[in-house]
Amino acid sequence: MTITINTAINGRQRELAVQPHQTLLECLRDDLRLRGTVEGCGVGVCGSCTVLVDGRPVSSCLLLATNADGKQVTTIEGLADGDRLHPVQEAFLQCHAFQCGYCTPGMIMATVGLLAASPRPTEEETRDYLSGNICRCGTYVEVLAAVRALAGQVAPEGSA
Amino acid sequence: MTTSAIGIERPRVDGPAKVTGAAVYTADIELPGMLYTKVLRSPYPHARLLNVDASKAAAYPGVVAVVTRDDLRDLALPYFGPIVKDQPVVAIDRVRFVGDIVAAVAAEARDVAEEAVGLIEAEYEPLPGVFDALSAIQPDAPVLHERRQTSEGRLDTPSLRFEDAGNVCSVYHVEDGDLAAGFAAADEIFEDVYSTAKLQHGHIEPHAALAYWEPSGKLVVYTATQNPSYIRIQLAELFGLPQSQVRVIVPFVGGGYGGKVHARLEPLAALLARKARRPVQWVLTREEVFLTGHCHAATVRIRTGVKRDGTLVAREVEAYYDTGAYAMTGPTTAKNGGEVSGGPYRIPNQSLTSYCVYTNTPPTGPFRGFGTPQVCWPYECQMDDIARRLGIDPLALRQKNLVGEGDTFVTGDALQSVGLADCLQEVARAIDWQGAAEQAPRPPGPLVRGKGLAVMIKTTMTPSNSTATVRLNADGSATLLTSSVEIGQGTLTSLAQIVAEELRLPLERVTVTFPDTDVTPFDQSTSSSRTVFSMGRAALGAAGEVRQQLLDIGARALETAPDDLELDDGAVQVRGAPSRRLTFPQLFTAHFGAPVGSLLGHYSFQTQGGVNPATGKGKGRASVYFFLSACAAEVEVDVETGKARVLRMANAVDAGKAINPRQCHLQNEGSMLTELGAALFEEMVFEDGQPINASFVEYMLPSLEDHPQQFRSLLVEHPHPLGPYGAKGVGEAALGPVGPAIGNAVANALGGVRLRDLPLRPDRVLAALAAAKGARA
Repeated sequence: MTITINTAINGRQRELAVQPHQTLLECLRDDLRLRGTVEGCGVGVCGSCTVLVDGRPVSSCLLLATNADGKQVTTIEGLADGDRLHPVQEAFLQCHAFQCGYCTPGMIMATVGLLAASPRPTEEETRDYLSGNICRCGTYVEVLAAVRALAGQVAPEGSA
Repeated sequence: MTTSAIGIERPRVDGPAKVTGAAVYTADIELPGMLYTKVLRSPYPHARLLNVDASKAAAYPGVVAVVTRDDLRDLALPYFGPIVKDQPVVAIDRVRFVGDIVAAVAAEARDVAEEAVGLIEAEYEPLPGVFDALSAIQPDAPVLHERRQTSEGRLDTPSLRFEDAGNVCSVYHVEDGDLAAGFAAADEIFEDVYSTAKLQHGHIEPHAALAYWEPSGKLVVYTATQNPSYIRIQLAELFGLPQSQVRVIVPFVGGGYGGKVHARLEPLAALLARKARRPVQWVLTREEVFLTGHCHAATVRIRTGVKRDGTLVAREVEAYYDTGAYAMTGPTTAKNGGEVSGGPYRIPNQSLTSYCVYTNTPPTGPFRGFGTPQVCWPYECQMDDIARRLGIDPLALRQKNLVGEGDTFVTGDALQSVGLADCLQEVARAIDWQGAAEQAPRPPGPLVRGKGLAVMIKTTMTPSNSTATVRLNADGSATLLTSSVEIGQGTLTSLAQIVAEELRLPLERVTVTFPDTDVTPFDQSTSSSRTVFSMGRAALGAAGEVRQQLLDIGARALETAPDDLELDDGAVQVRGAPSRRLTFPQLFTAHFGAPVGSLLGHYSFQTQGGVNPATGKGKGRASVYFFLSACAAEVEVDVETGKARVLRMANAVDAGKAINPRQCHLQNEGSMLTELGAALFEEMVFEDGQPINASFVEYMLPSLEDHPQQFRSLLVEHPHPLGPYGAKGVGEAALGPVGPAIGNAVANALGGVRLRDLPLRPDRVLAALAAAKGARA
């Protein structure tokens, strides 16, 4: 049995046939082959599957695909404008804010969400907001530096 | 002129792929006709496997292949393991831990595979189990393994003594001087027992593999491994294939930290694929990762004799490493921990022994630090207790006893590139260490603060081999063929920097391959922080061969001697006459008649060393280089709740020479944070062998909330004569001293109350405080 949903994926309106038990993460990876979004824990605590749903960071491993009906979903693949990186991607690159890279798409999406909510976050705000994104490589010093570099650089509407 | 590629913070080659989500990890790869895997795991920690009936699963619609012990019959030896072949591809007559694999299903879809696994009937007869190393060595303990067969072809096992019976798998021993005389000469003797917990590697990418067989009979495996060369060896042995008929390909790896060294999924994935005659993908769930590998818990008895002036005169250590149900690299982990368990100190009389012990818990594996944090914790905590009892500043006590350049280590090694005193000085300064007098008066209120220091010495895998090929293309670009794995440490960039420097090429003209054992030569392992040092040396040697060929061709073309020439910015030129110059493509034309062909350089870097297992005496070299580092921490402890947090922390590593300083800092920061978690809260918990916190909900990894406000990585550079441009490894160097620095800071905050078991959980802090209060009353 499938259910039809209408969801904008990275700005493009899609009609998708999904299964009732299918998560948004499975839909993105298996059906749409958008594999920049990855699974780390499957229970919504590591943050590596973070995508934006209507501009807000969500663990896509916890959200049923059916719940994305009528929403706008942005994944890491939807951030760059052609060859031009999104400012958050550029800042992560410049600040060396990644190592193995597995948590990086989720961390970048969460950072986009943070800056949309608070364009000039204090360090405490940043720590609090990004504490649900685990980097076992321990690259937090550089992530904090990237967010500092971005303060005031990203317009709130830049979130989608 | 080409600017130097060494010692500068080059942007990472893999950056664009990683910030755009384009980086391909093993689970992202999909092949036509690919099947999905789920496995049946034992619910018992120890049981006889009486019966396995998978007929209903095999008949389930959508199932293509089922593997049970009946499918192992045509394998000459259905066991694998890098050092001891003790792990069956699937359980044969027994299961030895909760999670041991009994059967596997490959099906058209993941949920079909999962449903089919539920149809497999397995019958067990539970056996008594043993769940910690000290219980496992008791004479009446249930024994896990009757048969033992050590793997051939390992370079680093001759220093070990393997046991034939009981649960002790292997023993390592090294000694120096006269222990009894040393203790007889001591004014004070300290004897304590310390312990560390089982830890998760926590690589956010779960283990993943994808296997298929070509019609020619060749096995191809994509896998998230740190060790393609040994995966190939093990698969070739298991299936009776020439190594040339096994192709192991490694895409990006989403963190390893030791957890992806050696075969985990690959043997069973290959067997399933052979039976299914289709590509088979197997990706673990997080809960399964918890049952697949972890860090050895250890219990360590340490006895130290000191003179009243603080001179260390004798030390005896016995360390018991719990390797879990299968040996994996437990023997070498215990060895590497054992050989440094006396610490980086000049102690004339030492006896150091370590044991690798089987228990009915999930198998372990290398873990960042490789056995060293387990022994650094005891010797550095005890060092502060010694300082306290003798009334000496902990910094001064360490400085008095530290090893220095040229000192002979317990293994017989003459130490080189010893920047440890500088590391210690740097970290003490970074937290404003004021000396023992600062050991603080307690302010009113529940929050108390303290500072702590620790130092560490660690060996690297020796002997070992790394081989590299450099191919110079006719357009003057170079390719480094290497089996070193990009696990996040920046190998694609740092190795390119080394080749670029040797060939005087811009960095953009050098490409480092991903491992593909069809074309990339042997590498011992991407572990032991050995890639920059060992593969770096191999890359340097291979590039050097190409360099010589360019000079020889240039000498003929420019009618001069090779010695009169130099390389500069992709060209060969006459020294002092740079107008007499030929670019690399022009040299190809001079040599081949047109810009075609390749110039190949090849180099094998081999190290030697060890100890004699019969006598425990060193042979003069146990480690090709030593990691040295120091950590300082300031903590705040709430004496009402028992919760400790780190306010500031600094860690200094002697990098020899930092090829890419930013990347060295990133590696240090990762080591620091990993061990901070181990010091304060990380531990896998079992009850009678049943894991009870096997998820990231119950087993927390350090997040930005735990990250200290002040967190500094420092680099000290004492170049090593054998390292490329003087470089040593740094990947794990920062980790060891973090636990004891935090432990010493907590003890300092608590007025000398000492906790000897990691992690420093709030309940343990409160219990220690209560016990100390009881003792004073």
